Amino acid sequence: MVRHTQLTPLSLVGLSIAALLTFPLVYVTYSALTGDLSQAGQLWNTRLPELLTNTISLALGVSIVTLTLGVSTAWIITRYQFWGRAFWDWGFVLPLAIPSFVLAYVYTYLLDTAGPVEQSWQWITNSDTRIPSPYSFTGALVVMSLNTFPYVYLLARAAFQNFNLSFEEAAQATGATRSETFWRVSLPLIRPALMASMFLVVLYVVSDFGAVSLLRFQTFTYAIYQQITGRFDYQSAALLSLLLVAFALVFLFAERWFRKQSRFYQTSGRVRTATPKPCSIARALTINLSFLMIFTAAFGLPVFLLIQWTLTAWINGEIGTSFGTYIGNSVFLSATAATAALALGTPLAYLASRIPSTLHVACLQGAYIGYVLPGPVAALALLILFTDMIPILYGTVIVLILAYLIHYLPAGLQAMESALQQVNPNLEEAARNLGSKGIRTFMQITFPLVRKGFSAAWLLMFLLCMKELPATLLLRPIGFDTLAVRIWLEASEELYQLAAPPALLIVMLSIPAVFLLSKKNWQAG
Amino acid sequence: MKMIIQIDRKSYIVPYLSILLAFILLGLGSFKVGDLYAGESVIVYSGRAERLIKPVLDHFEKTTGTTVQLLTAGSTELVNRLRAEKTRTPADVFITNEAGALELARKLHLLQPITLPDIEKTIPQPFRAPDNSWIGLSGRMWVTVYNTTMVDPSSIHSLLDLATPTWKGKLAIPTANSEYLQAGASMVLAAKGEKTADAFLQGIRDNAGNEVYGKNRQIVDAVAKGKVSVGIVNHYYIFRHLSKDPQAPIAPLITDQDEGGMGSIMNVAGIGLTAHAKHLPAANQLITFLMSPTGQRMFAEINKEYPVNPAVSADPAVPPASSFRASTIPLTRLAELRDPIIQEIQRLGLR
Repeated sequence: MVRHTQLTPLSLVGLSIAALLTFPLVYVTYSALTGDLSQAGQLWNTRLPELLTNTISLALGVSIVTLTLGVSTAWIITRYQFWGRAFWDWGFVLPLAIPSFVLAYVYTYLLDTAGPVEQSWQWITNSDTRIPSPYSFTGALVVMSLNTFPYVYLLARAAFQNFNLSFEEAAQATGATRSETFWRVSLPLIRPALMASMFLVVLYVVSDFGAVSLLRFQTFTYAIYQQITGRFDYQSAALLSLLLVAFALVFLFAERWFRKQSRFYQTSGRVRTATPKPCSIARALTINLSFLMIFTAAFGLPVFLLIQWTLTAWINGEIGTSFGTYIGNSVFLSATAATAALALGTPLAYLASRIPSTLHVACLQGAYIGYVLPGPVAALALLILFTDMIPILYGTVIVLILAYLIHYLPAGLQAMESALQQVNPNLEEAARNLGSKGIRTFMQITFPLVRKGFSAAWLLMFLLCMKELPATLLLRPIGFDTLAVRIWLEASEELYQLAAPPALLIVMLSIPAVFLLSKKNWQAG
Repeated sequence: MKMIIQIDRKSYIVPYLSILLAFILLGLGSFKVGDLYAGESVIVYSGRAERLIKPVLDHFEKTTGTTVQLLTAGSTELVNRLRAEKTRTPADVFITNEAGALELARKLHLLQPITLPDIEKTIPQPFRAPDNSWIGLSGRMWVTVYNTTMVDPSSIHSLLDLATPTWKGKLAIPTANSEYLQAGASMVLAAKGEKTADAFLQGIRDNAGNEVYGKNRQIVDAVAKGKVSVGIVNHYYIFRHLSKDPQAPIAPLITDQDEGGMGSIMNVAGIGLTAHAKHLPAANQLITFLMSPTGQRMFAEINKEYPVNPAVSADPAVPPASSFRASTIPLTRLAELRDPIIQEIQRLGLR
């Protein structure tokens, strides 16, 4: 196979996109390293040990919980036939429709001192026992896990559905037990999907600011947010951000290395996928009960409370008339950003997977950094850059959309890249050998094969943008509020009943996207 | 049959560029809202809850015909934004929920003096900046709320009493992030010095234990239910609770009234004129309205706050301003004490 190494026009497009996306990082690095560096030493001694421990243990904890929840639910749903399966199949994707900060505020209400959970517990046990405070590691672990396990579920389910049963059969034919087959054949086979989902989950946890700030759990991003909103310390924020980026880079390279170790292509034309096996009534009941518990905690109960609060607000006549505008703004911004992200992401993902020269891979990796550069820091960097250099664009939605792109393109890129990797390059090669050139090969051969993966990427980015908070707060044009902004403004004023209607709207608007996402066969395994 | 798309080999750049261009035009075309209203509008950055400020601004729009464009965010966040935007800020005025942020903005040269003739007559001196670049609009007091069936109010004379071991396990306080806790502790620091402030913070930390709440409303709730006997909150939360449940066994307690005491802790929500305001006449018109009796009355009625204009009296539900003595520490001190007090709160490990 011929590897092009020269600078094609497409490489230039890729390079300029990567430059655009890494622009804020350059600025943040500059701010962190110029000026008084004694700050760094002080941070190192005071805040850093705690922040590092908290952030890493939360990321680890959430990984373990989400892997367990996601893989087991996906396995049961793809392998067993039971009453209710059709519902759970897409039901477990629904928690993705709830923004993490909404889940966090619901849980602070539920688990707080003298909250409903503690009161019922004390009533049941007839005692004065206290339940663990939600403002803790446990609180953050529960909320973040419930909020992100659908990522693992989605990718694991797609991988279980897609993989060739022959591998398992071969294992069993040679005498492996069922559990041996699962641990030594099935699980390793879906490792790329698991790594991809861990990537989404860990970076989501590390860069989340809404939930951890409501739960007052000190992670890097929360500390950074406090540095720039509660105090006036951009340099410390920039320094902490750089550390976070370094952490993410290590993680990125690890993920990439794992992916390289495990690249599987479909070998023959015939794929036999698993057919779900029927199971006993007792087992079906157990499955349904445990699924119901997970579902209630992650989606049912929060939505029930949101509906209840919305009704209260509605009865009290507290719902304003501007909701239409907020919906329009949210949808417009998210759809535009997702489309732009697809347009910008395609060349990057295509170049890196087909012509993996150092330059192309570096461009792709550069784009990934944005996911972990904390939202508030990237947003402030963009604000300063635009007011100084392109003031005509400042105060327009362009800046905000750029912030979304920088932060969420990586999430979509992951799915786009996986989809492109699933396409055997031999197919494109064959088309080229038959005389089909560049874009035509892409449109006729590659695109139809990756369309599902790309749609999934669009939906994912749309969903994430709907829920975005810190950049929207900082960069929205005057008079241009989104649903997420409304929730935040009302919730931070203790007005749960007024925060509930926009929260419920985000959930409702996200459900169709989430539903489509669950129907798509994610080509990520 | 699939459609066969004939595209020239190099033309893939064209769709990309046109998509990008379309986005740029879209953004430019539709959302430079600020420029559309130039001349007859005033752009407001506000750190106050919209519910508390919007009705007043709406009334201003209706009576004057001047359009108000409102951007709500955190007060401190907006100071940072003003600082980053420098001369290019679209904001004409800056409204906050406390005086500290306004004074910080002034110190960073983000504000300019308001030159309205009536200002010194209407706003008493403690409630405005030395150079009049910001003025207070409404006062809120940081007070003790107590359960009337559990506490004899004569046992508490000072806010500092709440830090004594008597109240162990009986006190509820706001979280370390609360601006009101920070401002309150700053006032203690300014009035009584570092040692007393430290002892106060440690005392309330130990007495409160787990009873640390994110919301003032929850503190009032906990006191009303008898979970704790006392709490520290902004005064209007007590009256809001009482207006919903007049039978609740709670009452406000205004402390530190003894001769030589520090006085009750008063902070103001206020407004500043930005250094690079582009719509000066409209901004002045808005400020004039907000300190006029009409505007001031709205603050008193909707928010149950204390109007700063002495010509307007507080809502009959709250204790009249003449019935207590407020701390004499100038509010401008809040700005300089903010960073030290946050560091102290973090060092002592308040939750």
